[in-house]
Amino acid sequence: MFQTLQYMRHIKASIQKLLVILFTILVTSTVSYSQDAAKLFKGNCASCHKPTAAKLVGPGLLGIKSRWPDQTKLIAWVKNSTEFLKTGDAYATKLYNDYGQSVMPAQALSDAEIIAVIDWADKGGDAPVPTTPTDNKDGVVQNAPAESNNTMYILLGIGVLLSVLIFVLSTVKKSLEALLNDKKGIVVVPKPERTPLQSFRYWASNNKKLVAIIGLFAVIWVLKQGWDGLLGVGVYTDYAPEQPIKFSHKLHAGDNQIACVYCHSGVEKSKHANIPSANVCMNCHAYIQEGPTYGKEEIGKIYAALDYNPETRKYGTNQKPIEWIRVHSLPDHAYFNHSQHVKVGKIECTQCHGPVDSMEVVKQYSPLTMGWCINCHRETEVAFKDNKYYEDLHKKFVNDPKYKKGDKFTVEKIGGLECSKCHY
Amino acid sequence: MSNTKKYWKGIEELKATPEFLQSKNNEFIEDLPVDEFLGNDSIVDTSTNRRDFLKFLGFSVTAASLAACETPVRKAIPYLNKPEEILPGVANFYASTYWDGNDYSGVIVKTREGRPIFIEGNDLCPISNGGSHARIGASVLSLYDSSRYKAPQISGKESDWKSLDSAVSGKLNDIAAGSGAIRILTSTIISPSQKAAVAEFTTKYPTAQVVTYDAISYNAISIANNASFGKAVIPTYDFSKAEVVLGISCDFLANWLSPIEHARQLSSTRKVNVEDKKMSRHLQIESNLSVTGANADKRVVLKPSQIGSAVVSLYNKLTGSSLSTKSLDKKDAIISEIASELNKNKGKALVVCGINDSAIQQVINAINMHLGAYGNSIFLDTPDFTKQGNDAAVMGLVSEMNAGKVDALFIHGVNPVYTLPNGEAFKAALSKVDLSLSFSDRPDETTAVCKYVAPDNHYLESWSDANPRKGVLALGQPTINPLFSTRQSIESLLIWSGNTTNAHDYIAKYWELNFYPSFATLGGFATFWNKSLHDGVVLNNAQIAQDLGTIKITTIPVTEVSAPIADLNSAAALISAASNAKGTEVFVYQKTGIGNGNQANNPWLQELPDPISKVTWDNYVLMNPSEMEDKGFNTINGQVQEADIIDVTIGSNKLTLPVLAQPGLAKGVIGIAVGYGRENVGKTANGIGANAFKFTQFINGTFQSETSGATLSGSVGKYHLAATQTHHTMMGRQIVKEATLEEYKKDNKAGNEDLLLATNLKTIGKDGKAAPKELNLWESFENKNHFWNMSIDLNACFGCGACVVSCTSENNVPVVGKDEVRRSREMHWLRIDRYYSSDMNEEVAEKEGVGAIDKFLKMEIPSANDNVEVVFQPVMCQHCNHAPCETVCPVLATTHSLEGLNQMTYNRCIGTRYCANNCPYKVRRFNWFRYNENAQFDFNMNDDLGKMVLNPDVTVRSRGVMEKCSMCVQRIQAGKLVAKKNSERPKDGAIKTACQKSCPTNAISFGDFNDMNSQVRKTWNNERKYQLLEEVGVQPSVFYLTKIRNKTSKEA
Repeated sequence: MFQTLQYMRHIKASIQKLLVILFTILVTSTVSYSQDAAKLFKGNCASCHKPTAAKLVGPGLLGIKSRWPDQTKLIAWVKNSTEFLKTGDAYATKLYNDYGQSVMPAQALSDAEIIAVIDWADKGGDAPVPTTPTDNKDGVVQNAPAESNNTMYILLGIGVLLSVLIFVLSTVKKSLEALLNDKKGIVVVPKPERTPLQSFRYWASNNKKLVAIIGLFAVIWVLKQGWDGLLGVGVYTDYAPEQPIKFSHKLHAGDNQIACVYCHSGVEKSKHANIPSANVCMNCHAYIQEGPTYGKEEIGKIYAALDYNPETRKYGTNQKPIEWIRVHSLPDHAYFNHSQHVKVGKIECTQCHGPVDSMEVVKQYSPLTMGWCINCHRETEVAFKDNKYYEDLHKKFVNDPKYKKGDKFTVEKIGGLECSKCHY
Repeated sequence: MSNTKKYWKGIEELKATPEFLQSKNNEFIEDLPVDEFLGNDSIVDTSTNRRDFLKFLGFSVTAASLAACETPVRKAIPYLNKPEEILPGVANFYASTYWDGNDYSGVIVKTREGRPIFIEGNDLCPISNGGSHARIGASVLSLYDSSRYKAPQISGKESDWKSLDSAVSGKLNDIAAGSGAIRILTSTIISPSQKAAVAEFTTKYPTAQVVTYDAISYNAISIANNASFGKAVIPTYDFSKAEVVLGISCDFLANWLSPIEHARQLSSTRKVNVEDKKMSRHLQIESNLSVTGANADKRVVLKPSQIGSAVVSLYNKLTGSSLSTKSLDKKDAIISEIASELNKNKGKALVVCGINDSAIQQVINAINMHLGAYGNSIFLDTPDFTKQGNDAAVMGLVSEMNAGKVDALFIHGVNPVYTLPNGEAFKAALSKVDLSLSFSDRPDETTAVCKYVAPDNHYLESWSDANPRKGVLALGQPTINPLFSTRQSIESLLIWSGNTTNAHDYIAKYWELNFYPSFATLGGFATFWNKSLHDGVVLNNAQIAQDLGTIKITTIPVTEVSAPIADLNSAAALISAASNAKGTEVFVYQKTGIGNGNQANNPWLQELPDPISKVTWDNYVLMNPSEMEDKGFNTINGQVQEADIIDVTIGSNKLTLPVLAQPGLAKGVIGIAVGYGRENVGKTANGIGANAFKFTQFINGTFQSETSGATLSGSVGKYHLAATQTHHTMMGRQIVKEATLEEYKKDNKAGNEDLLLATNLKTIGKDGKAAPKELNLWESFENKNHFWNMSIDLNACFGCGACVVSCTSENNVPVVGKDEVRRSREMHWLRIDRYYSSDMNEEVAEKEGVGAIDKFLKMEIPSANDNVEVVFQPVMCQHCNHAPCETVCPVLATTHSLEGLNQMTYNRCIGTRYCANNCPYKVRRFNWFRYNENAQFDFNMNDDLGKMVLNPDVTVRSRGVMEKCSMCVQRIQAGKLVAKKNSERPKDGAIKTACQKSCPTNAISFGDFNDMNSQVRKTWNNERKYQLLEEVGVQPSVFYLTKIRNKTSKEA
């Protein structure tokens, strides 16, 4: 089993290498619409297909053109596979049977769009640049933080050893000196006996200015630390609780390129982006019953919640909701609306939530403090273009005598810092 | 009564031992070791001294509070299978039907995440026309009443449906086998399918008969119509078609028959505008000062016993006939004036009477016939089906039960033990019934004595349909799953009849068979059903003509009805005979909030101030102030002043209640509101007030709410009443500006003359006089985007209080309870000020040489009797553009927005209350306590179930912060967001504040002042516009339109 996995990884790596080469050759000719195609793919296909050879729910689309020499047939197949199956096409029937007789839903795309996506995916999409060094044959990712920890321990050990050495040596030196003096008969006038505290006081009374300056800095440092500490109360940046299911955003949003909105479907309509209901998971996981990292265990938890039997494909009645741990929470007196920011303000998800597509365990990326909100409202320009709501308002802004060229039409300028925008 | 009995604490006292005698004056029998403790020197030497103790204390408090900053782990639990239509964070709206046996309205229910949180009127419903009523707006909280039944009950113990069904079916079969009598006592059923279900039941059990009972009866109207026209129906009215309206003891704007509809109709004829300075005239004859009477142009005060004579005398004067009647002495002249005015407006006049006496109603019919109101403003052919009670049948049932002839009694939608005049007799008779069952969804006086309770669903959990009047069909849909193990009564009846269809299927099938055929042109049944469900109402006069006539229910044969009144002469004789009142006369009335008391356990309604008395949380005896002075009762109701408690006795019934001064009330008459004195209903209503239904009576075949022969005791105690307004007049200031129609016809600015302030500025004008707006201390705000303004037409505001309830519902306004209201700490963001007119003013004082102190004392006394005039003025935060609150806040918790709103930020507020101190309108409310999750304020916010009504978009405030009207900023923000998403400017009317939406008369308009076409911008140019306390110069964003009264110069 392990060997096969390794073998697979090896193959994958070589494919990736190949893809990189292919990509660099072809990118110049396709870059103009490849972004659109990528978007289309992400929005419509990514939940079931990969642009590589890997299977997801449906087959990987790498080299799809070679499998479907007749483009018109392929377009018809994508547009409405159920209809196309009725033509009795041999390859289509084979695909249908190979993939558990599950039907691909009809896609409301134009011919041009389908061609664009196919062209794009045929070459393996925007093949990701391999992140692991090529010489890492086993594909084992080095655990970087652990490494640095080890070094620190070693250094610390050496430090302890050295200080013990210094102490021993200095004691030896002292005894030797004493012995030497004893031999020579020199009587050493003992320095006045001082406790360490006394000696510190003696030193301090001779260096008052220095002590004052150091003291001042110390006080400032302590105050600053205290202040920062207090400001940090209730701020949970990097909060990454363990979730009941080890769901990986990296796998879903990163590797599989599923669009955020596919699961968080409320983000353009509601104040909440919404955690997807389990039936959304089942859109794919009715077919994908095994994950790459945890096998059947984690996906099995979705089935357990739904009381779903993957063998018989039947739902039971003993259903229990999944209790996710909430990562981002705002206090009750702050009103935040996702659709205002995403749909109207055209803000990218990542701006506040960070690179979720690379997070194995999702964490709070932004501090979610009021200062952070306000800063953004000060700097961000209103997405007024093509929105009739802002048309007049923008004209008034530009025609204002106080307006200087280059002034930004920011959220602040239309009252985005006012209390009642968020608190009511 | 002196008491000679002696009580002793113990044997020692009885025997009077020497030790006892020695120590009996000491608080503690044994010596306390005080010296021993204080004399202990080792305490001084202890290593932990006081300072150390304080240090430890300080450290641990800091450590504990820092540790407490850790937020608890919060969970986010999504649906397993998300219903397609629910998107968390987005509200859904469903059309449904409100019907509680008394009030009907088409409603729109706002739900969030599957919880109903707000009720508003359905614009498509021809009866509510989008308006609402306090009781309907508050009904959403009654859903979350934790005292509701959680399961069916057998003999007072919780049971389950299986046992109940088998017990009830078993007994029913036994009774049917022995041909025992089965009776269903029900409130009016307006649901066609429920009628069909009842018919199925009566078919299965042929001995079953139905008795219809309305707690507030309108039976006399149908009896009179039967006598006059041969149609035993309640007609519908259209007040908008009448130019002169005379209401006789009829509170048609707030309570009578279909108040939302009437208010909208009447207000449409009273919104004067410059183009057409026409306005209807509203006359009122009554004993009480009702909401309707308070809005009348001319009001005549008569005792209840005189009203009948007045009606007959009015008829005589209108038609020149001479039916025998008693003289009204001085008031005869006024009746003549009214008669001539009505006669002048034949065909455009309407008379309505709220007295449930068939003789009086018969004369009223004759009057309306004479005035030509039928077909113009009264419609017998589109009858109202919401009041079908048969009072005589109810009384017949009681005697039948008493005789032991009834074996099974099902009680549906009514609470006879509480609402019947002889409730105690009913209770006694019920014990003789073998199978007594109530369908009530919550405990009441009747369920307490019923053997079985089969709790019904709340209307928000039910499928229902309704046929409130001819030509109107309505559907009601559930907006939440049943919270408890309850079952719709329609299903219970069907199950006992052997039909296991559920309510939805049954109603759908009924509609498919009976109504769909008329609408088949629309498409398939599914299309018709979905459209009806979406709209909530189906209108078609011709198609639904068959109405309920097709469903025959076996009703009880009425045995006790008195012989029908043959003609007007015998009617007049009956009226004359009834007018011989002895002793003090009593009328009982409904308050707009509590109504007949079926929602008494609803804290929103209890805390809603009565529109006239402004008293919350109580019922009381209303009495004319001068009469109270004669009797030595305290006429002042205030924070400190206590009301006198008196006993009111009629026959064997005695009510003990505080007495309150009511200007404008007839002398020798007292009034008491029904709906109070509830028992066994829940923590909110239990033990408040006394039950005035005991003072209703059954005479001449109907339940009547006027009676006489009461004896009043002197003061037997003192009692604090809690009122939100304890002063009565405007003290000579122009808070509500008013003018008569005649004046307004001459001058558009009548009563609203420009206010000019004298200044010593040479720059302004010639004489230095300036409008307040020109005198600015501050720079103006620039409102580039929106500028939210609100206008309130004082001619259309009738003071009903629907807005107060909807504001409470929308903005999570807490209920504070009676004690806090008494301390003027109520939290309502919107109040309706009510002012009485006074005989004293500056001019009178000068003429009569009244001193300054005397003058102000007299100004506070409302005009005597008939002359008292009333004005209502809703006041909420005026959103001043130069807001005095904003400048005094030390922490900038209240600031101004670029959209003209005065913003209140709770999380910044530290509770100095400077802002409230500086507010000229006194609209700011302070959270003296935490009103949520606090056992001392044990209302809906201290209750897991009650909290479900909270609006998740509005913060629940905590102790120590100020709050006030935000102009529903959450609705503004939501409306703007919709516009932004659609790439357009918000349309005028798309954003509505909660108060505006609920107003049955559209008195409130709200919108963007910068939108040239908005309603509010147009109203701004109306010359009746004025700002409250304009002279203060705060430039409010809320403005009012002067009140115009249609009075003749003689009356004014």
